[in-house]
Amino acid sequence: MTSTTRDLITDLSTSHGEPGWLRERRAAAWHVYETTPAPTWSDEEWRRTDTSWVDWDGAAPAANGADPARLALPMEVSSASVLLRQRGSMVEVLYTSPEARDADVTVVSLAAAAGSDGSMVADRLGTDLAPPSAGKLQAMNAALWSGGAFVRVPEGAKLTAPIVIVIDAADQPIFPRTLVSTGAGSSADVLEWWRSSQAATPGFANGCVELFVGAGSKLSYTHVQAWGSHTGSFLTQYASVARDAELATTNVTLGGRFHKGAIAATLTGPGANVRLNGMAYLDGEQFADHHTLQDHRTTDAASDLLYVNVLDGSARSVYAGTIMVQPHAQRSNAYQQNRNLMLQRGPRADSIPRLEIMADDVRCTHGSTTSTIDPMHLYYLGSRGLGLDQARSLIVDGTFEPVLDRIPDATVRSAVRTAVRAKLHGTAAA
Amino acid sequence: MTATNGQTTLSIRDLHVSVEDAEILRGVTLDIPAGEVHALMGPNGSGKSTLANALMGHPAYDVTAGQVHFKGQDVLELETDERARLGMFLAFQYPAEIPGVRVASFLRLALNARRETEISVMAFRRLLMEKMQMLRMDPKFASRYLNEGFSGGEKKRNEILQLAVLEPELAILDETDSGLDIDALRIVADGVNRLRGSDLGVLVITHYQRLLNYIEPDRVHVLIDGRVVESGGKELAERLEAEGYERYGAAAASEDA
Ligand SMILES: Nc1ncnc2c1ncn2[C@@H]1O[C@H](COP(=O)(O)OP(=O)(O)O)[C@@H](O)[C@H]1O
Ligand SMILES: [Mg+2]
Repeated sequence: MTSTTRDLITDLSTSHGEPGWLRERRAAAWHVYETTPAPTWSDEEWRRTDTSWVDWDGAAPAANGADPARLALPMEVSSASVLLRQRGSMVEVLYTSPEARDADVTVVSLAAAAGSDGSMVADRLGTDLAPPSAGKLQAMNAALWSGGAFVRVPEGAKLTAPIVIVIDAADQPIFPRTLVSTGAGSSADVLEWWRSSQAATPGFANGCVELFVGAGSKLSYTHVQAWGSHTGSFLTQYASVARDAELATTNVTLGGRFHKGAIAATLTGPGANVRLNGMAYLDGEQFADHHTLQDHRTTDAASDLLYVNVLDGSARSVYAGTIMVQPHAQRSNAYQQNRNLMLQRGPRADSIPRLEIMADDVRCTHGSTTSTIDPMHLYYLGSRGLGLDQARSLIVDGTFEPVLDRIPDATVRSAVRTAVRAKLHGTAAA
Repeated sequence: MTATNGQTTLSIRDLHVSVEDAEILRGVTLDIPAGEVHALMGPNGSGKSTLANALMGHPAYDVTAGQVHFKGQDVLELETDERARLGMFLAFQYPAEIPGVRVASFLRLALNARRETEISVMAFRRLLMEKMQMLRMDPKFASRYLNEGFSGGEKKRNEILQLAVLEPELAILDETDSGLDIDALRIVADGVNRLRGSDLGVLVITHYQRLLNYIEPDRVHVLIDGRVVESGGKELAERLEAEGYERYGAAAASEDA
């Protein structure tokens, strides 16, 4: 049965006209997938995260061109610099602004880029950052991804409007894959938005994002997970950040029944500056686990992490964050902060910080708080005329605000804010 | 009980209030007619803040007996936010710090909560800037998080800003003068005096006479040990300044006397 899956992968790759190197990588990744055991409770990373529901044996490439119903876009087309949409496996670029065209920015399906822009994609796709050997999920994605997005911002290009990638899933499993590369001195904002056209159907998603942030460039990457409420979702999002580069990632978790995010940034050159931001609003039976890694492999670099979870119903969150400072990485600054707000007694939040500091001249702090809404805050807001519901939602907004504040692009920030409020007020998230 | 005359904004009758089963207010009776400024003075611990919070509906304060009517309505039946929308306002002695909630967005929500129709973002912006100018506040204040990291004086000014924007019919100022230097005190008092009109009733709570040099009260009440022991004109405040609270008994010894 598994050998037929391998044949299917190879046949599909051939029929899509993928280059030989990619076909070989898919086959090799599938082999890693098959020979890597599924995560179990006894693995430290999976101790609090149940994956027994995953149908590991049933993994297969998605049927071609699954075509979900058209969903409204999360923002005005013209407020993007490029808008790429993937529906099922089908990728279309819906809009390219004159600015993006003049700057010679590349935003295409990853499959197309593998053919045409071959060497850059071949050098980077699943090699350094998220190779199949990183784990069973990464191997699964490397073998099965389809469509995908490739973003290349050339040296010195500065985009003022965000590049928007929208992934629409239907009832088929989906394996999104994104590769972003920013050239020296460039600057760009990228927003990737995952959502389902059939909110109530069980779905499966396993996505992989690789961000290469070139010397002196600035990248802000925001990821919104707004799958339907029955989807199980995995996200691997790894970044490498070169000398004097700035990266801000913001992971927004709203949808899905289950979500596991593995988020890592490796600081490779002095002057690198990284902000890892996260916000999750979970209710009902939702579960979300974020594992983060701030990996300092150079001297004189800084990383600052802020992950905020707001939990309602009987939702559960796991936050596990590691700060790693390699022995030679002197004068590193690394901060990590996880805040959890419980809206009632039912939810549970686990917070597990880990420091592995192997250099001696460093500044590192971490902190974690878990709280409920302070009745004195409700009283204060009430004394100004705000009813209980209004006061609560203002406090929830306020809890997320420091994270929203760290999204540099106003269009992206307001799209995220709208999606969070929509969920908070019980209307379907975009 | 209804108000004794149509002019009375606030009427408190024999109010008893307990905190964690300890009786703090032991029968307070007080009327504040519309448009008048009353001062409530008394040593620390006499129950001034307890009265203010009981009037506003603080969840930790139990009203065990008595009545409170505001504009003829029984306010003890109302939730805190309903009292606020009826026109009551408390400038807190210790305002809550609410992270992530910006002064401007909070205040616009609060204003809209008491209006029939929503104020436009532009009109609100103008109103807010006008009031901030009146209180000589830096416009940057509007986008700061509510009271978070504010100095004592900034918090007090922010309370008065809210008072100025929300335009209630009854304002209770709980020790608004403490933590303010003399210049700030004058600005805040100017602000209150400007709001002072035919409608606004004010209850100024303080244990110093200082503030009353700037906000001249129509009546002064002395609260000792949970009871109003004496009421009089503004000369009463001056006498208290000179003599302290000793004359009302040992239990009332003021730590600042
Ligand atoms: N929330 C509370 N919990 C417990 N005791 C309180 C609380 N609030 C007030 N008290 C007590 O009630 C008494 C009166 O306090 P308060 O009303 O704050 O006095 P004042 O404002 O006149 O200084 C004091 O003995 C104080 O300790
Ligand atoms: Mg007090």
